[in-house]
Amino acid sequence: MNRKIGVYICECGPNIAEKIDIDKVIEAVTSLNDIVTVERYKLLCSEAGKNYLTEQIKKHSLTHLVVAACSPRDHQLTFMEVCENAKINPYLFQLANIREQCAWVTDNKEEATKKAIRLTKAAIARVRCHSPLEKKEIESNPDILIIGGGIAGIEASLQLAHSNRKIYLVEKNSFLGGLIKNFEKKYPEMQPCSASILQKIETIKKISNIKIFTDSEVQEILGFFGNFEVKVKNKKEKDIESFNVGAVVFATGSSLFDINKNPQYGYGKFDNVLTSLEFEQMNLSKKIVLKNNKTPKSVAIIYCVGRTDKGYCSEICCMYSIKFVRYLKDNIPDIKIVNFYSDLCIPGKSHQKFYEQTQGENIDFIRAENIDITKKGEQLNISYDDETNRKKNCIVDMVILSPALEPSVDAAKLAEFTGVPLGDGDFFAEEHEKLNPVSTSTQGVFIAGCAQGPKSISDTIIQAEAVTGKILSSLIPGKKIEPEVKVSQISESFCIGCKTCLDICSYGAITFDEMNKISVVNEVICRGCGNCVAACPSGAITLKHFTFNQIYEELKEAVQ
Amino acid sequence: MTEQFEPRIVGFLCNWCSYAGADLAGTSKLKIPSSLTPIRVMCSSRIDPVLILTALLQGADGVLIAGCHPGDCHYNEGNYYARRRFAVLKKVVDSLGLESDRLCLSWVSASEGQRFAEVVNEFNEKIKKMGQNPMKKKML
Ligand SMILES: Cc1cc2nc3c(=O)[nH]c(=O)nc-3n(C[C@H](O)[C@H](O)[C@H](O)COP(=O)(O)OP(=O)(O)OC[C@H]3O[C@@H](n4cnc5c(N)ncnc54)[C@H](O)[C@@H]3O)c2cc1C
Ligand code: SF4
Ligand code: SF4
Ligand code: SF4
Ligand code: FES
Repeated sequence: MNRKIGVYICECGPNIAEKIDIDKVIEAVTSLNDIVTVERYKLLCSEAGKNYLTEQIKKHSLTHLVVAACSPRDHQLTFMEVCENAKINPYLFQLANIREQCAWVTDNKEEATKKAIRLTKAAIARVRCHSPLEKKEIESNPDILIIGGGIAGIEASLQLAHSNRKIYLVEKNSFLGGLIKNFEKKYPEMQPCSASILQKIETIKKISNIKIFTDSEVQEILGFFGNFEVKVKNKKEKDIESFNVGAVVFATGSSLFDINKNPQYGYGKFDNVLTSLEFEQMNLSKKIVLKNNKTPKSVAIIYCVGRTDKGYCSEICCMYSIKFVRYLKDNIPDIKIVNFYSDLCIPGKSHQKFYEQTQGENIDFIRAENIDITKKGEQLNISYDDETNRKKNCIVDMVILSPALEPSVDAAKLAEFTGVPLGDGDFFAEEHEKLNPVSTSTQGVFIAGCAQGPKSISDTIIQAEAVTGKILSSLIPGKKIEPEVKVSQISESFCIGCKTCLDICSYGAITFDEMNKISVVNEVICRGCGNCVAACPSGAITLKHFTFNQIYEELKEAVQ
Repeated sequence: MTEQFEPRIVGFLCNWCSYAGADLAGTSKLKIPSSLTPIRVMCSSRIDPVLILTALLQGADGVLIAGCHPGDCHYNEGNYYARRRFAVLKKVVDSLGLESDRLCLSWVSASEGQRFAEVVNEFNEKIKKMGQNPMKKKML
């Protein structure tokens, strides 16, 4: 191909012009191969500048464009658009950053000019080996699969349905509502909880574009963002339904830590030792009684059960344990309550107040370790080490254990067949703790609520709303999805089938073609990081737009 | 010669953190030795050992690879791979009789313009002390 490269150097007002001798740069690159024209211009990103560039491209029938201006993080897209409008492929363009990383960081004009020449030459050398890349567009399905019918799944369904999305809500149990269906009230505002979720469930059942599957499990999710094929099996009727969606939400919540792993608490051995969830259910049925149907006169609440086993703090157990004090005092005003905690975790703007207002007569908070529960007649004896390391005892009628939260038992299974990784504590891993907290490394698969980690109802709702926002802004009906174009490619003739790249890719973009014994990149899933390129022992992988040659050409000029 | 020695340092910067950090050094008008020529890549994990060796063989006096802090890579784990490959490469470079001190791997976030300037300045001083890459003389 006959290349015709045009080079344009931006003055950026005084920003570049004062720091770099632009004429020297022009002089240095004018005689290079393939260069048709080299010009300077006041403000290339202005409307006038863009028009000027468009005219120049046409006037000189340019095939490639090099702009020496600001950071690609500022105006790469601006100039790629100019290329598109002027009918040259936007990837036959290279931007040399002579402002942020040259003019602005170099005091000496001569040095800055030399560096600008190197950067511009590198951009020219690079653009010579650019290849045109074509945008791909795929049709997308705007429907959404939500797995888990707890508050996270219900909130996300309601909000997405309000935006006229079709929702498939899959719940493994025979009822919706998840954990919170069992709670009479929720901390810290002590508003009705079970009643309000039951109301939401009624609402959701009436919305025609939410299809609810109870007693069901998802068996298969194949495909990619915008185009997932789903199979759902009804566990009772054994029939399987298939449908397509564009995005998937994991809202599988959590379960309680298995207390049988901590036999020192006597759970299952002695009467009147309950888990927090059993106590919620007892309170909801308005019958806080002992096994012998008598009203308890004293109760101990044990915090942080299983925390050491799990290796993380479950965030909510302290708060709901304090809520239990409220429940107990509301029902049995003269009851004695002893709270055995290890660290009180009461973060958030309203929680401290909630805790302080829960103090009073016959309510003790004791920091304790090495708790052991035995039977003492009809009662329970709690032996513990207090803060000064002294062995102490306490006798009560009833014990409530507040165990850690752990991922739903099905999380691991779901993770395995979808390839979404598990992170700390085996909860689903977010794509990025700070940047993308409700996305996963699989594009189009999101996480909300306790599936991502233990959290309160309000934090769960915040995540459900975040997921809704993410989905509504990325999966738009009628709008085609544009996957990354700068993706990896595997050369059939170089690949030796070692499968190294399969494990390397965080996105599962590479699969193995058993027939031909080579690996293949799924271009729709690949994000273009280039990790597999560096990992391949036989140099079989090329990352488009960041090929070895392209980087090599830049490198050669950089060391001049 | 050492007095006027102007090193050539190639800086492979990942798009999401270190390149952004380098831009911030610019917008903050910090000073960065002009010996550094940045090359933008999407992730530090793209930089394979062959590219680094090529840079050395081409006469670079120093090669800097900068990526997101551990745990912050835009592509999850790219920088962990980069770190491991870098550790292995250093050994290979030593065993080839080349100077592995001419290589530097560093983490710079998008908000660390100051840190970027410090990393480059420090590395530049070190390379200045080391003098020219002997490969360059061989080539001439
Ligand atoms: C005892 C106790 C008291 C609490 N009290 C409070 C309180 O007062 N205030 C507060 O803010 N928070 C409280 N919490 C926290 C609260 O329970 C959680 O924030 C909330 O339940 C999170 O909702 P979720 O939808 O993420 O998960 P969950 O409520 O766990 O719901 C998940 C749903 O997904 C279903 N599911 C799981 N796996 C699958 C699968 N593979 N396929 C289909 N369906 C599946 C489950 O059956 C369940 O219905 C308390 C927690 C406990 C344990
Ligand atoms: S293109 Fe960049 S360098 Fe040129 S005027 Fe605009 S901001 Fe300044
Ligand atoms: S690492 Fe390279 S050679 Fe090995 S399977 Fe992947 S592409 Fe093929
Ligand atoms: S470039 Fe990155 S995302 Fe694409 S296949 Fe390779 S490792 Fe996976
Ligand atoms: S994106 Fe910065 S190191 Fe991977």
